Amino acid sequence: MNQQERIRVLIAKPGLDGHERGARVVAYGLRDLGFEVIYTGLRQTTAQIVQAAIQEDVDVIGLSILSGAHLTLTENVIKGLKENQAEDILVIAGGIIPEEDKPAMQQMGVHAVFTAGSSIEEIADFIKSTKGESADD
Amino acid sequence: MARTDSWENLVKGVINGDVRLMARLITVVENRQPGWQEAMKRLYPESGSATVIGITGSPGAGKSSLTASIALKLAEKNLKVGIIAVDPSSPFSGGAILGDRLRMQKLFTCEQIFIRSMATRGMLGGLCHAARDSARILDVFGKEIIIIETVGVGQDEVDIVKTADQVMVVCVPGQGDSVQAIKAGIMEIADLFVVNKADKPGADEVVADIQSMLELSVEADQSIPSVIKTSVVNNQGIDELVEQLLQARQKGFLSREKESLRIRAEMKTLLEEEIFRTVSRVWQDNEILEQLVMEIRERKNDPYSAVQAMMQVYKSDKN
Amino acid sequence: MTNDKIRRIQQQQQSWQENTLDKRVEKYQLPESPTRFYTPLDIKDHDFSKKVGFPGEYPYTSGNNPFDFWKAFADGAAKSDYRPDWGGAGGVGKYGGFGTAEDYRDYLIRMHGMGRRGGPNMAFDLATQCGFDSDSLYAEGEVGRVGVAIDSFRDFATIYEPYTGDLEIDKVPSNFTINAPAAIIIAMYATLAEKRGIALHLLRGTPQNDILKEFIARGTYIFPPGPSLRLFRDTCVFCTRHLPNLNINSMGGYHIREAGATQVQDLAFSMANAAAYLQAGIDGGLEVDQFAPRFTFNAFGGSMEFYKEIALQRAARRIYARMLKEEFGAQHPKSMMIRQPITAHIGCSSTTLQRPLNNLARSVIGGMAAGMSGGMPGAYPPYDEPLGLGHSQEAVQLQIDATRVMIYEAKIADVNDPWAGSYFMESLTDETEEQVLAELNKIDSMGGAVAAIENGYMQQTIARSAYERQKRVERQQDFVVGVNCFTGDKEMSIDINRQVEATYDPELMKTAETRQKQKLETLRRERDGKTVVSLLSTLKSHAKDPDRNLMPDFCDCVKNNVTLQEICDVLRDLFGEYQQVK
Repeated sequence: MNQQERIRVLIAKPGLDGHERGARVVAYGLRDLGFEVIYTGLRQTTAQIVQAAIQEDVDVIGLSILSGAHLTLTENVIKGLKENQAEDILVIAGGIIPEEDKPAMQQMGVHAVFTAGSSIEEIADFIKSTKGESADD
Repeated sequence: MARTDSWENLVKGVINGDVRLMARLITVVENRQPGWQEAMKRLYPESGSATVIGITGSPGAGKSSLTASIALKLAEKNLKVGIIAVDPSSPFSGGAILGDRLRMQKLFTCEQIFIRSMATRGMLGGLCHAARDSARILDVFGKEIIIIETVGVGQDEVDIVKTADQVMVVCVPGQGDSVQAIKAGIMEIADLFVVNKADKPGADEVVADIQSMLELSVEADQSIPSVIKTSVVNNQGIDELVEQLLQARQKGFLSREKESLRIRAEMKTLLEEEIFRTVSRVWQDNEILEQLVMEIRERKNDPYSAVQAMMQVYKSDKN
Repeated sequence: MTNDKIRRIQQQQQSWQENTLDKRVEKYQLPESPTRFYTPLDIKDHDFSKKVGFPGEYPYTSGNNPFDFWKAFADGAAKSDYRPDWGGAGGVGKYGGFGTAEDYRDYLIRMHGMGRRGGPNMAFDLATQCGFDSDSLYAEGEVGRVGVAIDSFRDFATIYEPYTGDLEIDKVPSNFTINAPAAIIIAMYATLAEKRGIALHLLRGTPQNDILKEFIARGTYIFPPGPSLRLFRDTCVFCTRHLPNLNINSMGGYHIREAGATQVQDLAFSMANAAAYLQAGIDGGLEVDQFAPRFTFNAFGGSMEFYKEIALQRAARRIYARMLKEEFGAQHPKSMMIRQPITAHIGCSSTTLQRPLNNLARSVIGGMAAGMSGGMPGAYPPYDEPLGLGHSQEAVQLQIDATRVMIYEAKIADVNDPWAGSYFMESLTDETEEQVLAELNKIDSMGGAVAAIENGYMQQTIARSAYERQKRVERQQDFVVGVNCFTGDKEMSIDINRQVEATYDPELMKTAETRQKQKLETLRRERDGKTVVSLLSTLKSHAKDPDRNLMPDFCDCVKNNVTLQEICDVLRDLFGEYQQVK
């Protein structure tokens, strides 16, 4: 990798859920592990998230949802990415996501789900290894 | 994540108005990835019609919100706007949190406005190029007004706004001597001063401070930059500010002389960047470096000769 | 204490350190002792009467009452199989709400049929909480999800259809967990009473109405802090004058703590917010003792640090009482009390997804802290809190039983403030108080809570604290059992069985948004559009006058089927919308 290259991550909070702790902690953590994190703040529509991801040319979108609306919102983000030929952007999710919803999330194209107790290093390692893998394709 | 688009493809995308490819080219150029120079060479002749506005000021001056208000007003006038928002990289990890979008949420529904966040990345002059090159890409893409917004605390950031056609400095009341806080070198190149958050007490004092400072520093033959009071919350002064910016755009900003100076400056910084990159390459070569360090430690060599030797490598590298 | 005694203890301490402590530390080759021992030296100037006092008397350190009301009924409750979550006619029922008003109403009717009575304890969906109607772009996927959707007075009235007769609204209280549009919901409540011919002063209940903490945590704000506080002032004055039996708010450190605040930040920020609300009431022309007794709190706290959480409760009561008395000149005892349903607790963020049954052990520790700090020893939350939204019946049963074990078998609450006089606890309480006051001073010097929110201080501070905590856990400086330690092959996972009560038919959920939007369309068609327009324009002109109380306007609006968002939009135009800080 070129010395100047940085992995760019969009941390987004879709919907009206205002629980920001996880999103902010992950943003700080990834910054301290050398990532460039674009944080969009609360109350993003899924269309806005897709638009931001494209304009910012991010490698990864991290969605943080604690309102129970994760299935609808995530599906809409992924649909939006496909419509914009941007399905190469890695999508990961975090927040309160019940175990039984994880398969559905994965099926719709979420690469990983990180819930309470995950470490930031885990998240960072996942991003690095997944990005590395697909770059070799 | 196969990012295999050739620079030719990306350039084509920019010219055809493809947002995704354009955003990618910005990444390639920012990262100085293979093909970036070719792409910029190809785009340069097409550029030059957009107006670049540099906005700087101390942290907490409300630059992002102000930028958002200006962009919205411009978009209402059917102008196509691009925003490059710069935040500092962490000196420790090299990472960054780019949070300017947070203050620009109103713009997200606006199709004509493109926002790109950028980190300073701590490269010598690197950001300056990335921002200027990105502005150029946005220019060719069809943006008519490009706003580069940055915290005016580092030299890098001062350099960026210097590349703008119109430089706007934002101050606020209640930050102590906010005029003093403005980085040296900015005051002299500012075309416009904005006293933001004018709904707060003390705005008039800041205006007076700036004016008295300007009277001291501006040379006799120059026109004195105007000072405008704004308040994003009350939507005060934004119209006037946008009017000023547009008037200046119509007049055209730069004399031929000034433009030549700027081209010289750009060439100089590009050259510096080239040299720096080459030196870095040599620096990263651990074998040679290790060898030299060992020799110096053993007093068989000295740092002065070693550096001269490295310059030899650099020169041969160039050939 | 006499100088003689002090000197003797000092000598004893020195010799203990040299002959006993240091030797042991040396034996285990530690840099310092891993424990601490407290002596009378730690509270040399302790003045019991001034700092602790008797339960139910200033400064309330040892508790608001000689005993809480539930203690009076405790034996009776045990003999009569009383179930707190079923709600009695005197209190509110279980916190809930989902789907459309009709869905929620039908649920309440079902509950009443099962004998679960008590007033509505309403959760609102996020669109309602943020001032959007169900057909707004922002309501995408949110309608009826985390609470019931209220677009207009019609929805509100629908929920109350089963509340007649012995459940009439002058007989049961209502809770509204709502903040930014609290004024509008209170207006709906008052309008409902008026339509039913019930005197307003008979209405009881609690709106959360704590907008300032929404900027710091939770994020369901609408307007900037300044205008938000003005709306609070309007509710405060209106309630004091017309609904004197309704609590005005339920302020909290709980949400702030969950968002990452440390103990000290939790309490200091809540106190700063409380001071802003008190000032708002006074600015509205009220005397502090007219309205401060109607302020309530919803539990500071939220960590596993047993001792510190007890000290926090003691310090909180003392700080609040002193602030009210000394700074606001209150004289009424109720003005000076922190009235809250529970005291200490571990907070939801202390629960772990890993080996979730451990959360039961955790919640019992929180319950012990509560019982030892002036509250009911309640185990909270149910162990399956982190597993997803909705608690299972098993988890709730265990939670309630754990509470009962603490009350009836362990007799935790038989002594008031059992830690009073402890060298350690008194010194820890003093230390907590000192740190909180220092933080409060800092906020004061910025210009108070509103200023410290506008400049982002509170938000940034807690975000940093949350990150610090995360780093401590990741570096194993703080230990969380089953998460960052004791996770190896030797451990065993315990299977759990969860029956989550089907409170809401998933099929209904699927259609809730559509049905709610249809209702809204019908409402817009049926109502008198001219009146709506004219009421909104009157609202706008009245809102321009910052001294004017807008509650009468809100009442007129809701009575005439102006929607929640329509009212909010007028104010958005005028007040602007809050923009987050970086």
